[in-house]
This record gives sequence, C-alpha cells and structure tokens, in this order.
Amino acid sequence: MAAIQKTKQPKKKKVKKEDEETFAPGVVSEEKKKRLKKLDEFIEGVLQEAGEEFLDEFKQIEGE
Amino acid sequence: MSIPKVVGIEQEYAIKIKGEDGLSAFEASCMLVNAYARKVGLREPGMGMIWDYGHETPYQDIRGQLFGKSTGQEIISEEENRLINASLPNGARLYTDHAHPEYSTPECLSARETVACDKAGERILLEGLRLMNEILPSSEIALFKNNIDHQGHSYGCHENYLMEAETHEDYLVSSPQKALETLIPFLITRQIFTGTGKVGGAGTGPQKTPYQISQRAEFMEVLFGLETMYARSIINTRAEHHADKKRFRRLHLILGDANMCEFAGFLKVGSTQIVLQMIEDGFIIEDFTFKDPLNAIKQVSARFDSQVELADGRKSTAMELQRRFLERAKEYRKIRNVPHVPEVDSILECWAYALEGLEELKLSSDFNLENDPMEIKRRLDWVLKLWLINRYRQGKNLDWDHPKLRVLDLQYHNIDAREGIFYQLQDQGLTENMLDDTEITRSVWEAPTDTRAYFRGKCIEKFPKEIRLVNWEVMSFDQGEIDRMVPLLNPLKGTREQFQEVFEKSRDSRELLALIEASSTG
Repeated sequence: MAAIQKTKQPKKKKVKKEDEETFAPGVVSEEKKKRLKKLDEFIEGVLQEAGEEFLDEFKQIEGE
Repeated sequence: MSIPKVVGIEQEYAIKIKGEDGLSAFEASCMLVNAYARKVGLREPGMGMIWDYGHETPYQDIRGQLFGKSTGQEIISEEENRLINASLPNGARLYTDHAHPEYSTPECLSARETVACDKAGERILLEGLRLMNEILPSSEIALFKNNIDHQGHSYGCHENYLMEAETHEDYLVSSPQKALETLIPFLITRQIFTGTGKVGGAGTGPQKTPYQISQRAEFMEVLFGLETMYARSIINTRAEHHADKKRFRRLHLILGDANMCEFAGFLKVGSTQIVLQMIEDGFIIEDFTFKDPLNAIKQVSARFDSQVELADGRKSTAMELQRRFLERAKEYRKIRNVPHVPEVDSILECWAYALEGLEELKLSSDFNLENDPMEIKRRLDWVLKLWLINRYRQGKNLDWDHPKLRVLDLQYHNIDAREGIFYQLQDQGLTENMLDDTEITRSVWEAPTDTRAYFRGKCIEKFPKEIRLVNWEVMSFDQGEIDRMVPLLNPLKGTREQFQEVFEKSRDSRELLALIEASSTG
C-alpha cells in the first residue's frame, strides 16, 4: 500500500486575528503589507505583460 | 456492496500561443508531449510503444444505444499515434486531445494522492513547455489549468471513479431516478466547495451575474448523455469502463472544475468517494430530487447561498443539502468504518470545515467578501479568486465587465509561477496547502503503489523498448516472434505489494512474464 501521510487537518476554531489580517487591508502587519504589495506589483506586471490582445489570443478549441 | 473508489483525473489544458506564426495549437501540443517523452527516455531509437485505442468506444452508451459511427475509433498510423501519445513511468498518460495537451493521472486510491498526481501533471506540462521553449526560443506559449476561455468555449477536468457494476447499472441504466434522488443533488451542490470561480458568464445560462462560483455549471445542458463538447451532461454515459465490466464500472463525471487549491481538490475527490461508497452500500435513503436539476446547477453557481426548489416543494440551499450528506457520511463512518476510503476522517473534517466556513461567509449584493471568519478563501478557489478580483477591482474602481478582470481570472490558472496568479498567492502565504513538495515530486516520477498503475509504470520505467501497446487495461510486449499481452482488468491488482519482487528479479519482460506465470501456476 502507498505510504499515505496523514493529511494536515484544518483547525476547527475560527482563525485568530493574526491570520485574519492576511487578507484584510487596513489592519495588516508590516510583513503582510509587504506581501500584499508584492502581490499587487506582480498583478500589475502580469496585466502589463498580457496586453490588450490577451483575451483574443486566448481563444481555445474544445476537446473531448 | 461497496468497493474501493479508485480515482483518475483527466485535465485538458488551455494553450495560448504568441509569436510563432503558423504554429497551431495541435502542433504545439504534440511538440510538448514529445519534448517531455524524449526527456524521460521514451523517444529513443527502437522504441515502438503506442497507445492502444482498441478498448475505446466513444460512441457507445451505457444505456445500450450506439450513436454515430460503429465504434467512434479513428484509424491513425503508428507514427501519428506516437506523435500524439506518451505513456509515462508514473503511470499517467500525456497526450494531445484535438488541439490541446491533456494529462490523465494514473489510477489512485486516495484523494490525497489524486491531488498529488494532478499537481504532478502541472509540473510535467510545465517541464514540457520549458523544453519546447528551448526549441522555439522566439515563441511565447503558456498553459492554463482551467475550464473556460471567456469566448464561449469550455473544456473539461473529468473525474473517473471506480464503481461496483451492479450499483452503476442500477443507478444509471435501470433506475436513473435513484441518481436523480441522491447522486445528482450531491454533484450539483458540491460546487460550493469545488468551484474555481469565473468573472461573468461565458455559456448559455440565463443568469446574469458578475461572478459565478463554477466554470462548468452553465455549460451543463442534460442530466445523462454521451457528448462532451456539446449537450454536456452532469453524468457522462460513455460505455468505456477500462476494466472487467462484469465487476467494475467507471463513473465518468464531466461537470467538475479544475482546482488549483489543494484543499478544494482533496475535498472534491474525497467527498465524492464517500458518497459513492454510501450509495453502493444503500446508506443514502433520503430523496433530494431537484424540481429542475439543470436550472439548480446554474442557480447555485450564480449565487452559492440561493434557495433551490426540490421536486417535493421543499426549498433548500446547497449548503443545507451538503450538510445532510455530511451528517449521513458521519453516521456511515461510525457504523461501517468506511474501510475503502483512505483518510476518511480527514475528508470528513475538511468537509465540515468547508461547510462551516461557507455558512459564515457573507457576500454583499455586489459580490464583495464582507465576512470570512474562517478564512475559507485560503482553501477554496472560487472564494480566493473572488477576493483577488475584488481587491483589484475596488483598488482601480473598475466595473465588473472590465476586460482586465477576465485576464486576472485566466491568469489565476497559468501554471507557470512566473505569471500564474494562484502560485503568486501561494508564494505570498495566502493559501493553505495540504501536500508536501516531496509528494508532488514523487508523483512526477513514480506511479501510485496500490493500484494497477504500479505495474504499468514499472514496465514503462524498466522495459520501455519491449512494450508494444499500452492503455489503461492492457499492456503488450513485443517478444520477437510473438506479442505477449498482460490484461490489467482489475484496477486494484498489479500493486507494489504483489509485484515489487518480480520487478526486482526481472532483467527483461520475458523474465517478468515467466516469473508471473510461475507464481500464478505454482
């Protein structure tokens, strides 16, 4: 049988404030602000790289 | 009587090409398949391995009718066969399907391993892409694990579950009403945790909404059916079981989304395994038939907390119905111990967590995430994508129909971490991962050990030059004067436990088959 590792279980308790801050702008720690800033910069870069023609170029042919 | 729920996922990848004039998606897909096959030693001189289409009957329906041509099989040359197909040492199949690359995972017994194999598929495709870019340095080719192109097209993330033949026949052929009462309501409502989200609508659904939780829902047009490119069905009825059909049947589902979040993928497979097992054991007795199932799937996708009408006049949310399935599964766990579903307790806990998180999730009428106290957005794709899109939309003061939001939607699924937004979210610690990296890496190179995939993978790893034909249910070896065939009709046989020793002792396929023969006659 496969060596099945025990799956990490989600905690049943609601998340602490610390974790909630991960997504909530305005109340985030400095570290998390940096992460969100990086995310925003990344998204700007992706959108700029994609350009206006991205959606037209994306057209797919369906498969089975 | 329930049987182990062997699972496989078939993922069709979107391919986007820029900068190589005249390179078609078909050609690019074939290049990718062969670039990877070459890397793993499957394109050396003397290799004759081809995919055996002999057991494929795409026009044959489990309900008995035969549509279209006699079998639906196309005749292709061996050269074309090898151009399209690569059977890999990890037991998977990498191939070109029409005009895009497709990855079919090997057969897995656990939901966790299924997710690891699905993620391994992403890495294999990405490596193929990297190798292709070395050949075509001026090209800009990208791959996306999603299900829509925002131009009205949809492509699948198909799931396959092993079912016991009698129940499959009963539910899908003799008494489909039973599927309408239980299985279909489960599948329609599970999208609240399996959906990957999309901006707006691309299909044929009547609901006008800025954001839907599922990519596939509005493309579902019939309940049961044979087609996959039009008139798509919630349950596909293709009579291709890839196993001894007297004992085993394949439940082929084409309604699911392609998950990026490991938690969502794990829960999709795991909860479906448990529900199917309960069905096989006759443990689900309640009737949840929807008044209009095809409308219900679109209604839930348009608004996850909407009230849907049942055939008996009751109204219920998807969360309430899922809660009933979960409670029944917990009872089942207590009484029957669920021996065939690995990690059943983890699946049940994740299921409960997801439902509790969704019950507490609050969306505004404009689809703003107002409250998510359990951080369900770290685990479910549609919630994570919604948070991402809203963050950008509000920061830039954009309307929901702004094209940049659709670009973000698509780029969320780009499998290259340099451009893929999901992987950026993961890198920034904004997702909850379940797998260790080593599990994914192992699945890139090795087949699951507890299904027939082990036998297939080991043969491809050790004796690739001797293999003549391969498919899910058979392997044949070219042994000079004759081809020797090994049937793999039981997906639960061919495991490491059974065959590790003979593989270690065998220097070629002749020795392998001789040892197997000796052990079966001795």
